[in-house]
Amino acid sequence: MTGITRRSFLGRSGAGIAATATLPALTTGPQQEAAAQQPGPAPRTRIALTVNGETHSLEVEDRWTLVEVLRDHLELTGTRVGCDRGECGACTVLLDGKNIFACSYLAVWADGKTVETVEGLARNGVLDPLQEAFIEHDAPQCGFCTSGQLMSAKALLNEGTEVTEASVREALAGNICRCSNFLNYQAAVARSEPGHPATADPLRVVGRPTPRLDALERVTGQARYSPDIRLPGMLYARILRSPHPHALIRAIDAQAALALDGVAAVLTHENCEIDWASGDLANRRMLFNNPVRYYGDAVAAVAATDRHTAEAAAQLIEVDYDTLPFVLDAEEALEPDAVPIQPGGNLAPPFGALRGGGAAVPGPAVYERGDIETGLAESDVVIEDHYVSKHHNNAQMEPRTAVAQWESGKLTVWTPTQGITNCRDDIAAAFGLPNEQVRVICEYMGGGFGNKNQCQDTDLIAAELARRTERPVKLELTRKEDFLSIHGRWPTSQYYRVGAKRDGTLHAIELRGYSGMGPHIKSSGDIAGIDFYQCPNVSKTVHTVHTNMTTSANYRAPSYPQGVFGIASVLDRICHEIDMDPLDFHLKNATRRYRDATPYTSYGLIDCIEQGAEAFDWRNRRRPVEADAGPIRRGTGMAIGAFTARLGLSNAVLRLDDAGTLWLHAGVTDIGTGAKTTLAMIAAEAMQMDLDQVEVVWGDTDRSPYSVGESGSRTTSHTGYAIVEAAEDLKRQLAERGPPGPGEELVVEASPNPSLDGEQRYSFAAHFVELEVDTELGGVQLTKYVAAHDSGRIVNPLTATSQVKGGVIQGIGMALHEELLYDRNTGIPVNPGYYGARVMTHLDTVPIDVVFVESEDAYGPMGAKSIGESTIIPVVGAIANAIFNATGKRIKELPISRDRVIGAMS
Amino acid sequence: MKAFENLSPATFDEAVELLGTARANGEIAYPAGGGSDLLGMVKDELVPAPDKIVDLKRIPRLDRIHFSEASTEIDGLVTVDAIASDEGVRSRYPVLAEAAAAVGTAQIRNTGTLTGNICQRPWCWYFRQGFSCLKRGGDRCYSVTGENQQHAIFGGGPSFIVHPSDTANALVALEAQFYLQGPNGHRTVPAAEFFVLPSDSLERENVLDADELLIGISLPSANADRPGAYRKVMDREAWTHAVVSVALTLDMDGALCRDARIVLGGVAPIPWRVPAAEDVLRGRQITAELAQQAADAALEGAQPLAKNGYKVTMARALVRRSVLELSGAA
Repeated sequence: MTGITRRSFLGRSGAGIAATATLPALTTGPQQEAAAQQPGPAPRTRIALTVNGETHSLEVEDRWTLVEVLRDHLELTGTRVGCDRGECGACTVLLDGKNIFACSYLAVWADGKTVETVEGLARNGVLDPLQEAFIEHDAPQCGFCTSGQLMSAKALLNEGTEVTEASVREALAGNICRCSNFLNYQAAVARSEPGHPATADPLRVVGRPTPRLDALERVTGQARYSPDIRLPGMLYARILRSPHPHALIRAIDAQAALALDGVAAVLTHENCEIDWASGDLANRRMLFNNPVRYYGDAVAAVAATDRHTAEAAAQLIEVDYDTLPFVLDAEEALEPDAVPIQPGGNLAPPFGALRGGGAAVPGPAVYERGDIETGLAESDVVIEDHYVSKHHNNAQMEPRTAVAQWESGKLTVWTPTQGITNCRDDIAAAFGLPNEQVRVICEYMGGGFGNKNQCQDTDLIAAELARRTERPVKLELTRKEDFLSIHGRWPTSQYYRVGAKRDGTLHAIELRGYSGMGPHIKSSGDIAGIDFYQCPNVSKTVHTVHTNMTTSANYRAPSYPQGVFGIASVLDRICHEIDMDPLDFHLKNATRRYRDATPYTSYGLIDCIEQGAEAFDWRNRRRPVEADAGPIRRGTGMAIGAFTARLGLSNAVLRLDDAGTLWLHAGVTDIGTGAKTTLAMIAAEAMQMDLDQVEVVWGDTDRSPYSVGESGSRTTSHTGYAIVEAAEDLKRQLAERGPPGPGEELVVEASPNPSLDGEQRYSFAAHFVELEVDTELGGVQLTKYVAAHDSGRIVNPLTATSQVKGGVIQGIGMALHEELLYDRNTGIPVNPGYYGARVMTHLDTVPIDVVFVESEDAYGPMGAKSIGESTIIPVVGAIANAIFNATGKRIKELPISRDRVIGAMS
Repeated sequence: MKAFENLSPATFDEAVELLGTARANGEIAYPAGGGSDLLGMVKDELVPAPDKIVDLKRIPRLDRIHFSEASTEIDGLVTVDAIASDEGVRSRYPVLAEAAAAVGTAQIRNTGTLTGNICQRPWCWYFRQGFSCLKRGGDRCYSVTGENQQHAIFGGGPSFIVHPSDTANALVALEAQFYLQGPNGHRTVPAAEFFVLPSDSLERENVLDADELLIGISLPSANADRPGAYRKVMDREAWTHAVVSVALTLDMDGALCRDARIVLGGVAPIPWRVPAAEDVLRGRQITAELAQQAADAALEGAQPLAKNGYKVTMARALVRRSVLELSGAA
């Protein structure tokens, strides 16, 4: 990759010609109407469009949307498509100076009008002040929503409305940022000070707030995401999906689809038997399965010359279904008369057994220490309780898109993935190829939060269609398909019995839990959180269960926030029962050793609790339960969290050239965390160089070495560790040989696989919230939030702060209104999408105070631990407890939406 | 989307004619104001795929608001944003300006027309998800035994949709007149009579006949310059339709309420005016007790489904608080 300078950015034109996801959503009616046979030519109109000051005369199909024309025909791919339904704002442009959704406006309607896109903001090589402010405030994380945020901000300034906190929030309300960096966007537009806490002991580079190396690409629309890739001769693919939650396919007739002009191939379970191994660790899963096991299961895929033809062809495929009974609820799925969803029954084997490759016998995952019955019997107070959490979608801004191309037997796939290496390996295995024959490229990607971890079926379907048609193929999912066919957080049902001594000493925790994983097991299904506490007697039994809901798997701290909702609520009940301040309870009972046995490499949990409580002013803010008499009731709550900061195998290549530039090759993709910048800072620090001497090569399996993948909050620890080790080697060589001479390079590679013996490495968090419950309108308004985190040394306080705020805001959505809701009578979800699932907006956000407790850790790069996932862990539990403190009512089912609040009050 | 032809008539006469001609030829044709709701429904195939879309945006000189002594006339292509930001509307009809400001997002308000906002189709999640429900020619309302948290507590049956428009509630409160133009000419319909219950028609939410357009709105000056407010409760803080809303105007003489208009949104398949609550206020001094009585009267007779009883509590509180707040008695 070339260097990024403000001077050079305008010279780096976006090479990608792109495409949008204008295919209609999943056809959802029980019957699909057969379309007409060969359609006539689509009506076209010549229009004049002035875009960024340049007038274009274009002949467009009347049905093309403005964003389709901008991206596909004018190559202005900075305008993005996140939902294609006017629900997310990624496509926002200015039309005659006002911001509109370009996905919801036909290009013919814009005839004679003036359009401004992100590409037009910078003039003569000078960034717009808004773009400068976005960089300074670390506004873009993944960057996929950034163009839209910029254009809405621009519209506000055009209007001449006074720029206030309120007017900015309102102006940006139509632009969702799922990284949830809302507060930074607001601050950038309002020109308030960039907010991040100071770090204690910054080094030369590490520990200093640093704008992202690629912020410029993200604020100018030049960052190239997978949907922006367009190749000569490329076909477009479209998936036909099951309209039933569970059905046997009796017959598929694709004759009419194949007969349609422009259709190149159709895949179904009858002619394609490719395994999607990472799609299910417990059962055989192919790209197309019979029976279909959830509403939205892939039935067929079509490749055609354009996306409209592919869409029409998919609808011409006739499928004869024999519907089967279905079950949505995990506990119901375990009843004796429940319909079996997989050959082995509905109870999956414990994840550990699946991962370990041992005999995978169906059964719950069990963990025990002490003796639970004795512990409960010895307790002075015992609480029995039941909590329910729901399917919560990751809702990352960039929909899944894969572009596949075969050249001389080598397969290249452009795809948004959180791990280019494991994605490459999965694809190679599916096609029986050596890894070297597959190349995966992901330079920029629009968020994932865990649902882009593995190779997705879209990668394999695009590759197989490309193989059969001998042409490049692009497969774009619609937003609705993305909600239904990737995955979200698993819903749980949690039964607790928890006992404590009268003095507040926690003595026994029993959890019996059920996780509804959908038809396939891609992740642990665990319900976690009880490990945050010291307790002599623990029994945990978690069942991972097949259901006919969509697949559930990883979403930021996959097993935690729902588990913390349960255990933090029960413990809060104990505090109430014995009249103990939750702060004192946590100081007394918070974990000191992992599972009361293994020491932590570093430990800042108590500091998080104490410093967080101090910043929150807990002792003064905390009031008795239900202290207010009126309809608006204020309360406070807290919860804690911990997340692993594992060490493990990764790889880094450092290359020092004769100009003194340090090239860092790392197999990462920057999913929005700022990994590229963090790793470059570690390299610069390790080499005692300046950051602008470091160039990062990333996101391409042919150009960068193995990396663990941007999941499990591992990148900084794993790949950062490899960088430090490589730097040691490079410094040794430099000392021996001196700097490289003209035309020479010094190249070092490190592949460390560090492990810990007898220690556990964790990051910690304590969150505190104050809120007001409107008992009549059911609303919950947060009024103060403090998030204290021990993540070891903070490498980049600017981006780390963004991570914390983003995790908290995602957690607020999970706590208060987000849910993928199913109709129990039909097994069909009623609200997939940003609108329906009530995904957080600018106006749902609250200020968040971040406190970093930098415990000293002897491992990892300069003592850095992990941060991305711990940020969401305590949120739901803290909010639920504050609602109890405010109202005296404990709501035990998520989300704690208005209907549930009002229901609890009456 | 399947291919269709976009037509750009220069007048409403021509638009009506184009719609009629298409229909006579057995074609499907839809008018598009702002068009964003229409395009979403076409993409999701919630309505039959169009052969023609008749774009009304090119009709010239129909984007003005005309104030006169007798009335305020709003052209058919005035955007929601123009209503929300127009100083005259804000000062003379605050309930309408506030309702317009509560619509969707800036992007939607900038393209969407007031008339289109009034005519938008239901946002019931079963309807929008493509269930073959009563509103789409199917045989049942899935909400009855399903997820009916968002559904009607008044006027429901056999379909239990709620009317999604914010501005419609304000216009009913203002006793607006709607100008309609169809193949048989013009007619004027009072706002309160424009909307129809599912028990009267399942195919549509208003009285518009085939090929008939809502081309303008008249606000009587008699209802101008009254304190007004629109309060909207949502299940997130932006960009969604009302769980419950209230459009309220008061005609006050000091603390004495001479007259009131109260229309509830989000509770019924049409804007739900509550005359019984207005009667409670009329001619009385507004106090906390009176506001509560009005709120109780407003929700009298509500028939919640299994999961939407909370709307009764919510609407009652919203009416009480809005009356107190707007009257200054709070």
